[in-house]
Amino acid sequence: MSALLSIDGITVRFGGLVAVDNFSMDVEEGRIHALIGPNGAGKSTVFNCISRFTTPAAGDVRFAGESLLADPQYAIAKRGVARTFQNIELLQRLTVLENVLVGMSSRVPGYFPLLPGARRRRIEREAVDAADEVLALTGLTGYRDTLAGDLDFGHQKLLDVARALSAKPRLLLLDEPAAGLRNREIAQVDKLLGELTARGMTIVLVEHVMQLVMSVAQKITVLSFGRKIAEGAPAEVRANPEVIEAYLGKRAHA
Amino acid sequence: MFGSPTLRQLAPLLALVLGALALQQLLPQYFLYVGNLLMMYVILVIGLDLLIGWSGQFAFAHIAFFGIGIYATTILGTRYDLPFLIAMPVAAMLAGAVGFLIAFPATRLRAVYLALATFAFAECAQWVARTWDSVTKGADGLQIPPTSILGYAVGNDQHAFPVVAIILALVLAATLYLQRSRFARSMSAIRESEHVASASGIDVKRVKILSFTLSAIYAGVAGGVYTLFNSFVNPDILGVAQLVLVLTMLVVGGSGSIAGCVLGAVLIGILPEVLRAAPRSMLVWQEFFYGLILVLAIMFMPRGFFGAWQAWRDRARHAADKRDAQASQDTRLRAKASTEASS
Repeated sequence: MSALLSIDGITVRFGGLVAVDNFSMDVEEGRIHALIGPNGAGKSTVFNCISRFTTPAAGDVRFAGESLLADPQYAIAKRGVARTFQNIELLQRLTVLENVLVGMSSRVPGYFPLLPGARRRRIEREAVDAADEVLALTGLTGYRDTLAGDLDFGHQKLLDVARALSAKPRLLLLDEPAAGLRNREIAQVDKLLGELTARGMTIVLVEHVMQLVMSVAQKITVLSFGRKIAEGAPAEVRANPEVIEAYLGKRAHA
Repeated sequence: MFGSPTLRQLAPLLALVLGALALQQLLPQYFLYVGNLLMMYVILVIGLDLLIGWSGQFAFAHIAFFGIGIYATTILGTRYDLPFLIAMPVAAMLAGAVGFLIAFPATRLRAVYLALATFAFAECAQWVARTWDSVTKGADGLQIPPTSILGYAVGNDQHAFPVVAIILALVLAATLYLQRSRFARSMSAIRESEHVASASGIDVKRVKILSFTLSAIYAGVAGGVYTLFNSFVNPDILGVAQLVLVLTMLVVGGSGSIAGCVLGAVLIGILPEVLRAAPRSMLVWQEFFYGLILVLAIMFMPRGFFGAWQAWRDRARHAADKRDAQASQDTRLRAKASTEASS
């Protein structure tokens, strides 16, 4: 099986700091692949390279065989890659439904109101139906008309995921979806990720909540100071002494 | 939310036009002038709102496009003998083209830098109007001759009144259509978060450039309307005072909503006419009052009169719901108490 996403030797420098150093990683289709590491290890920078928020100084990022690096940021969604944000970014003064509809921008036609009314109404009805489906999947149906800024933290996290999901991506990049959530909410995210893989979605997960990572990930890559220090199945990674020293040792027993 | 505007939304526009036709004969000349002025301001303010309220771009070059609209409509009419029905759209397109061009550098700027750069552009436009003697006649200004539309002579406020009303109705209808487009949703998405918009597949730069262009076209149309009921223009129209006036209308009325823009344009636009009754010595205070109103509105009603009214209505509705819930609970408790007492 060839990799859906293939990161090939990327390096990112911020001034004198090497944030990501010659990092490579292959993500197989249909898997949940976790990217973990201590704070500042460069996980989010890797995410930003995939979603074109950052351009690596060296290396390549290929999705379904083609390089993403030539694309502008907004074209990535159309290619089938959607992301969430670590510090929840939502369209605060729009409703939950509108947030999800914006998430569909890459696949809903009709930019200007120039199409005939009947056609526009049909497109919008289909879009709203699809949005309702995503809301049902993420358990947000009851908050459909609430302003995103009025949601509690847990639901805001879910809405960020729902917005990304509505693009119907082949690859979903989740940046700490469980950070700051209560156990009951983490279980909800766990269940959601299971349902998504059952539908054939590929997920890259950056997460500090080990209970979630160990439960859902089929493969784990560990970053420390911008370099890959380990990769493998959860059990292997958990047993790796270098990983325990760099990361799990200090946090897992805390 | 999508689709065409409802009849309920379009009906007021029809009423506006019919009302204007009826009132044209009834109102004194002065009232018709104020009516024309207010309708022109509504177009100008809605155009500014597309950029500030819808797209969240704090750009202050609006008055420059308004000026381009006035000067271009006048010059196309006097020098090239173009009828108003061609001169005005061409002038609006010209304003739109300039808006399109300044959008490219402007989209690279954010927040206060964008505000400063666009403000500087407006100052440049005023300087051009003052200095380009061969075209604008400099500080002396231009005479605007009476025009005619398809044989209908527009020579005074009375004649202009229904024409301005029709143009306003068309602009409002176009805005209602625009409001229901995916483009409008993209505009509010970039206002709320450019990161989210971009990650969702919205070409942020394209949306900004189109917003600038559309906004400039609206200002150009307002400029064309100005020529219908004014007989003279000079570079003062491009001054800071006008910009502050339009911004005050937007902030006081409530940005982000058509109704708010209409409310702001009417409330603030009518103010100098009311103040006209005040003693002459008070007139110098006029701009001070605008500034004061602007500051007070920002402090106490950040969403304008319209936003404040919406919030009040929501609160009232919420309170009513609560009262109803309380009342039905009381009835239940009382019923329970009475059954317990009787048993």
